[in-house]
Amino acid sequence: MAKPVVIVVGADKGGVGKTTVSRTLLDYFSANNVPTRAFDTESPRGTLKRFHPDITEIVDMTTTSDQMKIFDTLNAASPSVTVIDVRAGLLSPALASLRDIGFLDAAKAGQITFSVFHILGPSIASLDEIAETANFMQGAKYYLVKNFINDTQFFQWDQATYNSYFHRIKDATELTIPKLNEMAYEQVEVSSVPFLKFVANKGKDDEAANYSFVLRGYVRHWLANVWSEFDRIKLTDLVGAGKPVSRGGEK
Amino acid sequence: MSPTPVYIICSPRPMVGKTLLARLLSEFLLLKDGIVSSFDINLKEPSLLEYLPRITETADVVDTFGKMQLMDRLIVHDGVAKVIDLGFHAFDEFFKMTHQIGFLKEAARRGVAPVVLFVADTDRVSARSYPTLQEYFPAKALITIDNEHVVRGELPTAMAAGQVLRISALPSFLKTYIDRVSFSFTDYLRNERDSSTELHQWIRRNYTSFRELELSLLPQQS
Repeated sequence: MAKPVVIVVGADKGGVGKTTVSRTLLDYFSANNVPTRAFDTESPRGTLKRFHPDITEIVDMTTTSDQMKIFDTLNAASPSVTVIDVRAGLLSPALASLRDIGFLDAAKAGQITFSVFHILGPSIASLDEIAETANFMQGAKYYLVKNFINDTQFFQWDQATYNSYFHRIKDATELTIPKLNEMAYEQVEVSSVPFLKFVANKGKDDEAANYSFVLRGYVRHWLANVWSEFDRIKLTDLVGAGKPVSRGGEK
Repeated sequence: MSPTPVYIICSPRPMVGKTLLARLLSEFLLLKDGIVSSFDINLKEPSLLEYLPRITETADVVDTFGKMQLMDRLIVHDGVAKVIDLGFHAFDEFFKMTHQIGFLKEAARRGVAPVVLFVADTDRVSARSYPTLQEYFPAKALITIDNEHVVRGELPTAMAAGQVLRISALPSFLKTYIDRVSFSFTDYLRNERDSSTELHQWIRRNYTSFRELELSLLPQQS
């Protein structure tokens, strides 16, 4: 039986695009036929659940009962991949909890594949989280996600600062999420559908929709670029699903 | 139903005859089909809207809203030919956007046939822009316009490789005559009884070229 895979998407800062990245991950796995379930920790009302209601459950990660709901079902659950969208400010406490319940030890022992997508904001405070989070990362795949969705810069103009943060952790992999056209982003928000359905011009229940061709084009182009980043880090290998499905002509 | 043509008249250079060509082509299509939709995407050049206000609307590709307004119209397979007079300021943004949103692929899927009419010039900007268009568009959909008034018989070799549509130069006095806002090519053909005049023949020659271009774009039947 394949090892369960847990992907935590989080940041200690709000508004950096955690849920957006979670959504692209769910779309990516869906396109690659990888059964996936998701947990949204924005209790009681979750944004991720709004876009992916069928596979998302809202949980409160600070409660033991919900921690059990997520982690005690890892082996029993049929979807091999679990994506957890961690609410702002909860990443470090969540990782501490995982350490306390022995989850990180299980990852270190190779019983579970554990990945953290750490979404970075443009501030030094956000970058300081890297060092804090890195303490928990033994046995885990650690991805530093630079999300350009808000025209953010990451101190590339100051190489010394950039290096001091991004090259501090040896095994971290950098990932870049390009900017999506603002209007296209807003239209997907209003539509409350996964990016994939928006591109396919479909509504919540797969009914035909009437989204702008231009906006769909922008989303398709952007999503292809995001997915090419996921291909680059061999995300499907990580979850044991083999080569990604070909998406000729999209990139 | 034949594909709906979308003619994109463009050049990265000003004052090469884009609006003149757009006027000619719009009037030809109006004469032939009885209907045409023209779009004026010019900020600073002479405006197609001034010449053909009844069939022309303005558009822009400066922001996303403008792009939606324009492209969501162009992608419709409604049998009405579209003519775009693309100002040189909008050249880069327009083609970057069409490439990004997958316009060609979606057009093929929906039965819309984009045709680029690239008005050639001998400068470096045009020389750099043409290969970009070659990369984006199939050879059949990229037509070089050899405007004699602009290139003076020196069409760059690289631009002459594919299909070329030639527009001969008019004498200055006739150029001034057709540049009047109230001038209509079709009205002139209808009203001028002497078909041997230079302008009469010039208009007819261009209309014939457009007809041949249309035929060459039709899917070949077995």
